Amino acid sequence: MSLDARLSIDRDRASAWLEHHALPVAALATAAVLVVMLYFPVGIVFSEAFLEDGIPTLGHFTDVLTDPFYFGVLADVFAEPLALGTHLGSLAAWLGAVSISLTVEYPIPGVGIPVPWIGLDTPGVRQGLFGFTAYQAALSTLASVAIGLPAAYILANYEFYGRRTLRSLTILPFVLPGIMVAVGFYAMFGQAGTLNTLLGAVGLGPFAFVETNPLAIVVLAHAFYNAPLVARLTVAAWESVDARTVETARSLGASERRAFRDVVVPQLAPAVLTGALMTFIFTFMTFPIVLALGGLQLATVEVWIYDRIQRLDYAEAATLAILETVLSLGLTYAYLRYESAQAGLARAPSPPPKERLLPDLRTALSPRRLAVFGYGLVALVLFVGPMASLVVGSFTDGSGFTLRNYAFLLERQLEGASFQTQPLPAIRNSLLFGVATLLVAVPMGVVVSMVTVRAGRTGRLVDTLAMLPLAVSGVVFGIGLLQGLVFGISLPGGWRFQVTGAVAIVVAHAVAAYPFVTRNVSPVLGSLDPAMVESARALGASRARALLDIELPLVASAIVAGAAFAFAISIGEFSSTVILASGGEHYTMPVAVERYLGRRSGPAIAMGTLLLVVTAASFVVIDRVGGRYER
Amino acid sequence: MTELRLEGVSKYYGRGGETAENGSVTDNETGTGSETETATSAGTAALQNVDLTVRDGEFFTLVGPSGCGKTTTLRTIAGFEAPSEGTVSFDGESVADVPPEDRDVGVVFQSYGLFPHMTVAENVGYGLQFREPPNGASADDRVAELLDLVDLAGMDDRTPDQLSGGQQQRVALARALAPAPDLLLLDEPMSALDARLRESLRRQLTRIQSRLGITTVYVTHDQEEALALSDRLAVMADGRLEQVGTPREIYHEPATRFVAEFVGDNNVFDGTVRGHDGERAQVDVGGATLAVAGVPPDASRVSFCVRAAALSRDAAHNRIDVALETSEFRGESVRAYGEWNDAPIVVRLDRVRRDGECTVGFDPTDAHVLEVQ
Repeated sequence: MSLDARLSIDRDRASAWLEHHALPVAALATAAVLVVMLYFPVGIVFSEAFLEDGIPTLGHFTDVLTDPFYFGVLADVFAEPLALGTHLGSLAAWLGAVSISLTVEYPIPGVGIPVPWIGLDTPGVRQGLFGFTAYQAALSTLASVAIGLPAAYILANYEFYGRRTLRSLTILPFVLPGIMVAVGFYAMFGQAGTLNTLLGAVGLGPFAFVETNPLAIVVLAHAFYNAPLVARLTVAAWESVDARTVETARSLGASERRAFRDVVVPQLAPAVLTGALMTFIFTFMTFPIVLALGGLQLATVEVWIYDRIQRLDYAEAATLAILETVLSLGLTYAYLRYESAQAGLARAPSPPPKERLLPDLRTALSPRRLAVFGYGLVALVLFVGPMASLVVGSFTDGSGFTLRNYAFLLERQLEGASFQTQPLPAIRNSLLFGVATLLVAVPMGVVVSMVTVRAGRTGRLVDTLAMLPLAVSGVVFGIGLLQGLVFGISLPGGWRFQVTGAVAIVVAHAVAAYPFVTRNVSPVLGSLDPAMVESARALGASRARALLDIELPLVASAIVAGAAFAFAISIGEFSSTVILASGGEHYTMPVAVERYLGRRSGPAIAMGTLLLVVTAASFVVIDRVGGRYER
Repeated sequence: MTELRLEGVSKYYGRGGETAENGSVTDNETGTGSETETATSAGTAALQNVDLTVRDGEFFTLVGPSGCGKTTTLRTIAGFEAPSEGTVSFDGESVADVPPEDRDVGVVFQSYGLFPHMTVAENVGYGLQFREPPNGASADDRVAELLDLVDLAGMDDRTPDQLSGGQQQRVALARALAPAPDLLLLDEPMSALDARLRESLRRQLTRIQSRLGITTVYVTHDQEEALALSDRLAVMADGRLEQVGTPREIYHEPATRFVAEFVGDNNVFDGTVRGHDGERAQVDVGGATLAVAGVPPDASRVSFCVRAAALSRDAAHNRIDVALETSEFRGESVRAYGEWNDAPIVVRLDRVRRDGECTVGFDPTDAHVLEVQ
């Protein structure tokens, strides 16, 4: 046999082998990427926390756990966990000193609107950094649930023009860049913000909202993000309540209210709980919003970790990161357990009927309708206000219309020194990284879906492992990449494994983004009739061919939606980008926004507006291409 | 064309404490009852030592209640499940290492598995990308031929969601047959259709099968369907074969109590043998004495069955008074359910009296012995 013939047979064999083993190969490649780019960097961070000059130690942990700066009063408990009597004694003393009072307050400075206020007077407790982080997360969760539930009620029970669009839009805040939202809130509530301009028109103010009560603004900004999430989950649960079950309860003698309490509420509660839990996790790990609106005076764990990294104190940063990750992992695990228990949640055979919101003028004036409109107004201010303020704020200063902010950006672009942050490279980087992220994250996400959907019990384990990025904060991941891959690892034989600059950023974005691809694709893939793939195989298609011919075309819309998410996550990613891009030229638009935030907020607001335009434009493009934001 | 053989095929899920026990498989076709060792473990064994041969060109049915292992057997033949033990062979060659796409089998699933993003013609032609159409025909001609065979000519450009359930089922059949497979496997293909449609499709299926002469394995839980369609059938329960035989054998000579009860309309009695009177044994059933033919002389206890239709008002022997509880009008007869000596009884009569009392008898030779001790 000639060499050529032998080679061609080898080639045929190789391609046949590849076709038969394409899936395992792709799965292994994905696993390799995850190990090198996710588990290894995170592992580096963790080892940092457990090592001191190469010797294993728990010293970092005892230092942090017993430091009242981090854990407040709990630090004493961690310091002497066995002195139960002492701790209980101080708890009892503290409880005894709590008093509740009813007062009248004037919450809006300078305006005489009295509001009855239940004051819970507690003797000062030192919360510590973790305590404060949990406290603001709890407040944010309360606010998100309080704002999200009425929205869910309206979306699930009333029919009105634009309801479906509105329901789809509830996913939008989730993918808006955090730093942009923060700047939007600044543009609305700041000293020269739109709210003060409006109040000024009626002769009030200006008030320093952000300066006097930054926590309230941060909590509102968190609600901006998470209330739609709560609403989204609750609406889904509400619409899956079978109207027949309510009718059955009514025919068995339950009043409308009673049927709601006994039949509907138990089916909504898990969804509300999930929403609250996820909100708590997200706001516990909050970073850009607090960094931009509160700064170090409102430092959460994440912000403090970032600060430690800036000061090159990696061991302390890593220790804090581990404690934070353990907390959020625990909550995430609880959530995943719940989600798998809810897997049977399907669309109801007969969903509850929807009332017309505006059948006639008389109904429109009923108390319930008026309450709906009142809520709508509040929601409009909260959700549209900051974005509108962002745009308005970029064109105005304290006195009126101006193009000064954009002129600043242009000038910086044309005349800025190379070490200065310029707008065009930021836009270019954001778009390039976005596309590159999409190209990496979509195949990864699809492969993970394939493995998890078809693999039964092992699949669930893979699912949990692959969802780690959701639980590890961007800042932790950023340090890991920085220390593990950007600084490089020495390999035997004098080689060095190093991933730097743009590649490192794309990796960080792709790892953060692929879970969203998986979350979009898995439900659709899982609902496909297995008989289709088996039919294709019985007809002669290899497994990989069946994937290509049958499954991929059928989940195409979910993949496009996942791609939209991946792109949006990349455009908005701030936490790890700000670490990886520090000092370099690979800054993205969110990083540029943060760098422009200085004494004058104008340039940052203008940059934020550009980010808004780019984000909105990419959503329009993706929508045209055929994406859908619905799960 | 192909002869299909399963030898000692077992399938276990997970690990369980598997203990050996005796199971009996009787193949009436060869007339030999073979004692085989089967492993069993509650809930984890889907198939236990299944031995069967499907002959070239035969229409063979696997029938049994849900969870009996019939679908697992079919999926093992198709290659979607690997047997834990035993071999599957096509024409004497083991297919253990052959992936499903290379087995050359046509499969029709209960849910049909039509590709919703392809037209009818694209569905039927899908397998022709991987296998040459027979007799040198072009792929388009082959698709047209198959659509004609299942009476769907002209439906080429429809999509599956534009078809009725019966049409979808026929597209699935045409798609499975298009590459001229060696073996046709059908997994409850009729169960989603209404009764009337089922009957006409059944006739069409037997017509096509006998015209093509393709070896066919058909899975169903409907014993009537199994008896009506098959050349031979296997009754399965708990992952084991209860009996293999022609429809006539299965109906008239059930090998086990399970087969007698599953294949319908049988009354099963358990009794103690009191003595023999020539060919007949005197059997005490709950205090009454019944005469039964075919009981071995050394038997002390016996179980036997009598078909509902064999219980008649006119029979001279074995008269029993049945207290009827419910009855169903079946056109030519009335099927009535009642009790005698605390045992459930089903009878088939031309009419029943209002008061629900009825005395019937049966000929000793109409009793079929199931088990003896």
